[in-house]
Amino acid sequence: MSRWRSVWLVAKREILERGRSRGFILSVLFTTLLVIGSFVVPTILFGDEQAKAIGVVEPTPPGLETALTATAGQLDQTISVVPLPDAATASAALDSGEVDAVLEVPADLSAPGTIRFAEEPDQGLGQIASAAVVALRVQDLLADANVDPTELLAAQQAPSIDSLDPQTDADQSRFLFANIGAVLILIGIFSFGFTVLTGVIEEKQSRVVEVVLSTVRARDLLMGKVLGIGILGLIQLVVFVGAALGAAVLTDRFTLPETTPGAVALLTVWFVLGYALYSTALGFLGALASRLEEASNASTPVTMIAMASYFVAIFAVINDPAGLVARVATYIPVSAPFVVPLRAAFDAIEPLEIVIALVVTIVAIWVLFTIGARVYAGAVLQTAGRMKIRDAWRSAGG
Amino acid sequence: MLEIDDLAKRYGSVVALDGASFSARPGRIVGFLGPNGAGKTTTMRCIFGLVQPDRGEVRWQGAPVDRETRLRFGYMPEQRGLYPRMRVLEQVSYFAQQHGLSARDADAAGRRWLDRMGLADRARSKLEELSHGNQQRVQLTVALAHEPELLVLDEPFSGLDPIGIATMTDVLHDRARNGVGVMFSSHQLDLVEDVCEDVVIIARGRVVASGAIDELKSRSGRRHLEVEVVGSDGTWLDGDGSLTVLDRAGDRVKLLVRDDVDLDALLARARSAGEVRTFAYQPPKLSELFMEAVTPTPPARAVSDEVAS
Repeated sequence: MSRWRSVWLVAKREILERGRSRGFILSVLFTTLLVIGSFVVPTILFGDEQAKAIGVVEPTPPGLETALTATAGQLDQTISVVPLPDAATASAALDSGEVDAVLEVPADLSAPGTIRFAEEPDQGLGQIASAAVVALRVQDLLADANVDPTELLAAQQAPSIDSLDPQTDADQSRFLFANIGAVLILIGIFSFGFTVLTGVIEEKQSRVVEVVLSTVRARDLLMGKVLGIGILGLIQLVVFVGAALGAAVLTDRFTLPETTPGAVALLTVWFVLGYALYSTALGFLGALASRLEEASNASTPVTMIAMASYFVAIFAVINDPAGLVARVATYIPVSAPFVVPLRAAFDAIEPLEIVIALVVTIVAIWVLFTIGARVYAGAVLQTAGRMKIRDAWRSAGG
Repeated sequence: MLEIDDLAKRYGSVVALDGASFSARPGRIVGFLGPNGAGKTTTMRCIFGLVQPDRGEVRWQGAPVDRETRLRFGYMPEQRGLYPRMRVLEQVSYFAQQHGLSARDADAAGRRWLDRMGLADRARSKLEELSHGNQQRVQLTVALAHEPELLVLDEPFSGLDPIGIATMTDVLHDRARNGVGVMFSSHQLDLVEDVCEDVVIIARGRVVASGAIDELKSRSGRRHLEVEVVGSDGTWLDGDGSLTVLDRAGDRVKLLVRDDVDLDALLARARSAGEVRTFAYQPPKLSELFMEAVTPTPPARAVSDEVAS
């Protein structure tokens, strides 16, 4: 029988046994709902903002409605102006919520008039109404003084607002994307890497490993385990990202950058590599322990390295995606899975750098796997106490 | 034929195997005996490549055993264990597939063997839901479902109730009749004597005795003689240095004698002492052979020491 069939049988068993478990299904459903919810709920709460209605009591000064909508436009808001026949109707409309504010200005602009709200004054609406009334009255005054209305309008033009490095919607999405990507990779390493770790110890504790190893090579068992649990992780990632992208597009909350498909592909590749690297390390560390409590001690160095890499990525690299720290971290296998997709999200990495990082990381995985498989083979039948890596290495080699 | 050739394995300062050699033939049941720590489990693990010997070789049908060969072996380790949350049939089928069966064949074999073990109705249960005894049966099914040519079982009878022992014995005989080589370790020597044709006795990492039980018995210098003489005061036994009284109860006496004892002379003496009702001359029991073989002093001297005392 070919080795690959053996590896695949191990992987398939992991996928079927774990994939059918209530825990896995619930966690996929839960995270998916969480992702969709985090997009949909804000849309329901804030997305559907209705234009504020402002009631004006007739008779109104000429040009009031135009002035109100123009001022609102300048402040990037939309309002509707509702003419009301008299003060009593206005009060009723305010009371019933038909309008949000009532503006009452003398038709000859002899006084500033009043703005009334039902309860709490709406600052924005108040400002719009005030500015419009003030402008109207000033115009009126200046018109009386024979000032050219065209020049007056020109003089009232506000300075244009501009920024040196404008933050576009795409930039915002990119930042968000990079952060979510790094978190997903961290979650992948922790949840699925630790599934490999506990899986190895469970096999040791239930003693089934001796039966398994009487037909399956230790390295094939480790590979099949990493592969099977990795496929489950990938399924969860795809569901997660799919739900997020779908929800983002449907709720129209974000403008997806044009680079989205590439970024998703790169994220997936590095998710796989990061998981493969860390879960292999966790798998063979698991083999050295005989109980779960020992394993969490044994895995501490791996956990620390993963956390450190993550923090380097989200602080140093996001801050300066093309800086020295980012460049160095790109070529270190333990940090590359976090750093590369992040830099790519900011468009701050050369294709060649990605290729080198890929090669370095894949070689590291292969080396770690070769060492790990031998240690695993030497240690996995040892059921009493914690084993030293050196002893396990010798035991397998002897 | 399985050949174990000069296996040696050392763990630090502990010698687990020290040049063990023996063979097991197809169609025969071999009992693998030895005190705790003698090297039985290490030997079995060497057969399955779970332990790399420092020296020596395991051969099957004349060729060194490799992974492909091992797929035709069945193993039941001393420390039983299966996947607790996996369903019984899926579990049996999984291991059968790992032994090279197609998914369809593995399922069919799993069903067939579970049926034989009386577990057909538990096929869809999770292993952990089964009683201890039934979990043991599943473990045996896992070793059998791919119809191995060699069956190696480490302490298969330990923890079994009498019904379990009967089932296990049936299965082992059935497999041997089908030409399968069966080898199992046990400390229950009376059971081994009933079930096995051949034994291998290992002590301190070396094989100290091996062969057919009958041959080993006849080769041994020890014989048992049970005599019942009515009307004798028992003095007819006195002064004979060639026999040892093991037990005396009324007129009945159990003696340990050498195989070169002159039975005619002894019978004549017994007759002259009284009425002989029983005179039974028997080979030694396996447990005696075992003790004789694993005691550090040379066996021949051990016997004469006992006789002299």
